[in-house]
Amino acid sequence: MFYREAGQFKTSYQSDQAVFPIFQDRVFIALWLLLAFVAVPLLANEYLFRAIFIPVIIMALAAIGLNLLVGYCGQVSLGTGAFMAVGAYAAYNFMIRADLNPLICFLLGGLSATCVGVLFGIPSLRIKGFYLAVATLALQFFTDWTFSRIDWFTNYTPSGSIAVQPVEVFGFAFDSPLKKYFLCLFVLVIFTVIAKNIVRGRIGRSWMATRDMDVAAEIIGIRPIYAKLSAFAVSSFYIGVAGALWAYIHLGSWEPLAFDINVSFSVLFMVIIGGLGSIVGGMLGAAFITLLPLLLNQLPVWLGFSMSTAMVSHLEFMIFGALIIFFLAVEPLGLARLWQLAKEKLRLWPFPH
Amino acid sequence: MTITQRTLGSTLLKVDNISLAFGGVKALTDISFEVKEHEILAIIGPNGAGKSSMLNVINGVYHPNNGSVTYKGVQRKQMRPHEAASQGIARTFQNIALFKGMSVLDNIMTGRTLKMKAGFLSQCLYFGRARDEEIEHRLKVEEIIDFLQIQSIRKTPVGRLPYGLQKRVELGRALAAEPELLLLDEPMAGMNIEEKEDMSRFVLDVNDEFGTTIVLIEHDMGVVMDLSDRVVVLDYGKKIGDGTPDEIRNNQEVIDAYLGVSH
Amino acid sequence: MGFFVEVLISGLMAGVLYSLVALGFVLIFKASGVFNFAQGAMVLFAALTFVRLLDILKDTFAPIMLSLLITIVAMVLLAMAVERMVLRPLVNQPGISLFMATLGIAYFLDGFGQTIWGSDIYTLDIGIPKESIFILESVFEGGVLVASEDLIATVVAGLLVVTLAIFFQKTRIGRALRAVADDHQAAQSIGIPLNYIWVIVWTVAGLVALVAGVIWGSKLGVQFSLSLIALKALPVLILGGFESVLGAVIGGLIIGAGEKLSEIYLGPYVGGGIEYWFAYMLALGFLMFRPQGLFGEVHIDRV
Repeated sequence: MFYREAGQFKTSYQSDQAVFPIFQDRVFIALWLLLAFVAVPLLANEYLFRAIFIPVIIMALAAIGLNLLVGYCGQVSLGTGAFMAVGAYAAYNFMIRADLNPLICFLLGGLSATCVGVLFGIPSLRIKGFYLAVATLALQFFTDWTFSRIDWFTNYTPSGSIAVQPVEVFGFAFDSPLKKYFLCLFVLVIFTVIAKNIVRGRIGRSWMATRDMDVAAEIIGIRPIYAKLSAFAVSSFYIGVAGALWAYIHLGSWEPLAFDINVSFSVLFMVIIGGLGSIVGGMLGAAFITLLPLLLNQLPVWLGFSMSTAMVSHLEFMIFGALIIFFLAVEPLGLARLWQLAKEKLRLWPFPH
Repeated sequence: MTITQRTLGSTLLKVDNISLAFGGVKALTDISFEVKEHEILAIIGPNGAGKSSMLNVINGVYHPNNGSVTYKGVQRKQMRPHEAASQGIARTFQNIALFKGMSVLDNIMTGRTLKMKAGFLSQCLYFGRARDEEIEHRLKVEEIIDFLQIQSIRKTPVGRLPYGLQKRVELGRALAAEPELLLLDEPMAGMNIEEKEDMSRFVLDVNDEFGTTIVLIEHDMGVVMDLSDRVVVLDYGKKIGDGTPDEIRNNQEVIDAYLGVSH
Repeated sequence: MGFFVEVLISGLMAGVLYSLVALGFVLIFKASGVFNFAQGAMVLFAALTFVRLLDILKDTFAPIMLSLLITIVAMVLLAMAVERMVLRPLVNQPGISLFMATLGIAYFLDGFGQTIWGSDIYTLDIGIPKESIFILESVFEGGVLVASEDLIATVVAGLLVVTLAIFFQKTRIGRALRAVADDHQAAQSIGIPLNYIWVIVWTVAGLVALVAGVIWGSKLGVQFSLSLIALKALPVLILGGFESVLGAVIGGLIIGAGEKLSEIYLGPYVGGGIEYWFAYMLALGFLMFRPQGLFGEVHIDRV
């Protein structure tokens, strides 16, 4: 009975079209923001920041980006790793060669990823579904190869891997986990708001129309080239920025393999498990996929027996695989839908009916 | 139902010698007819006669092998779908082409796409022009929802609606574009008498209030005879009749091919 | 000239091996319309099971036969499990969901196989001769050096292709499989037992995977990277067409030869590593200009 809409009337289209038209939703969001901006910084320790919060936030950004492309626009892409790599390497090169403000470099990394994204998107004008997935896979491999072979990108380091200093903006260094956390959090919040605005407007609708029936969409005037390429562009911007953040804030040093096809699969899983076509889903999926290995690592310790790390990673694979199938079969709308159902239950709780 | 005399305008659409073949299959052979502004034209014929293909040619989904389409005075060898849309042609489909993942409201809003001009930045921030446009077009869409009497289902995902209501929503989406030429492909298929009456009323109202020119494909002869100003008959891709409903009713070739006689 | 021919032949032989894996894909795609990303994992699982059983049963009277039989049973059980737990629940979902589900199967099988059998590299030796021999001595001066393993692989693959082709075209079950691939509901409504058919298909694909696994394993040792072969088979399928047995063969040969030749002749100009992406870029080209591949079917969407 807590989640009732009864009595909440809307007197203007504007209020009806708000992102959170229901009062209780606004309460939830306020609580989450309070949690994120106040509770976590006060209560978390360094390990939690480094191992959980920062990676989850950055991956959530990537997952939201991929969801825009796959969930909202229906274009399957297995090139996420490549976009992150482009974002990371571009940011690095702008930092080293142009010596710009790091935040600008991250955005430029995103823009570089956008250019590549539009290129990746060109096949989508002729092919779709799983053939498109294969095409993006081709470009992913090609990008892998480019970054490992062409030394200019790594500034000719002999080892092929890059190490960076902590990010410094106008003399303020983001060197502690707490500061890194806040930086990522701000970026995520801003990008989430923008994503939400896009999907509820004309562009978002044209993406969803293209996803649902692209022939009909074209007939009502939605040009596939604009819809599809804009989805690739925006999506890869998000993923590129996420890549730059991942490299600079989370990893600190990386080599090309850090962004290979396994990353592409990871983010795709986040999107599927979290829920296709849902912004919240991206975040839930990112949290889930990041936390699961950690949980699995701790589980044997809690239960009192030991398991080799190899075994743990095998189990991880098995559980991921099983979960993908489970979600696709049982709840294709993922964790986001489960969250919605929970809210529906709240309409009645604690009453039985 | 009686039709009041309307003043018809000049020729809005003219197709000349359209031929269309898929591989060896001749879908349309040398079809020519014209449609005047504000007119309601029905295309009838047995299944497989090429009626849907004809609409597809007008609207740019299929490109004819021969012939031309002249719309609003501009002659084209072939139309492109989004060009057709921006020129004011809208249509519905035989096998409903709605966006199943979106609500009724969103589906009809997509019909307004061409009229929404706000830029990307404005959309990202949902500020200024983008927000004003959303509200302005929402108003128009609500008018259509009122007209079609589907207020109670406006937030329902269309995939969940029964067939008859889906057809109505599809009509709504076509109307949202404020078209000058409306192509309806079997808009009453699968409906019972009451639903057909509702749909017929909508079609007539659209033609009356907005002056929209309508080309419709329909199998129900009662509807065709009552609604249309003129009828074109197709059979095996060829035109075998073109005239007022009364003329067609008495055309022997049409009777042999399609209408049949009552014994 | 001799060198070119040697590179070509070794490329073609590698191609044959790709074709073997691609065949498994084609089977499942032809019969259920699903692209089975887990085919590579199946190859690995089959090979792993076989090689470990060989080791366990090596002192019995017929180790190879026994291991083979048990592995075949395992693949049948696998097919039944997949049908029951993946295909049936997902029967009405679009192709891309099924593809992602097979991704899930691949991950699961990967972890499962290694959980049971361990993750070391195992050598597989069932008596396939390994020495290199000279062939075509009458055509080329001194002959061309090839590995007998590869030669045997070619022969086996050829036999498999012919068998499968006959199976699909001529038998009743083959026809039923093609009907199912075309339209599940229509096939069901004329009485074709969908579930039974799927078990058959996946079993046959599993057996093809076993053959591929044994041959590859004998060549490279049985190890984790075998499952990455799935990624190599994709370009083969795009070139050949997803529904064509012949396409899988020809596609494999083209990719195999193309990879080797481009690596040797173009590699030095770009710093090597062309093998890594050559297949995929070729596939990309095909996707843009001839998505149905050389022998595949063109799909037309009716509005």
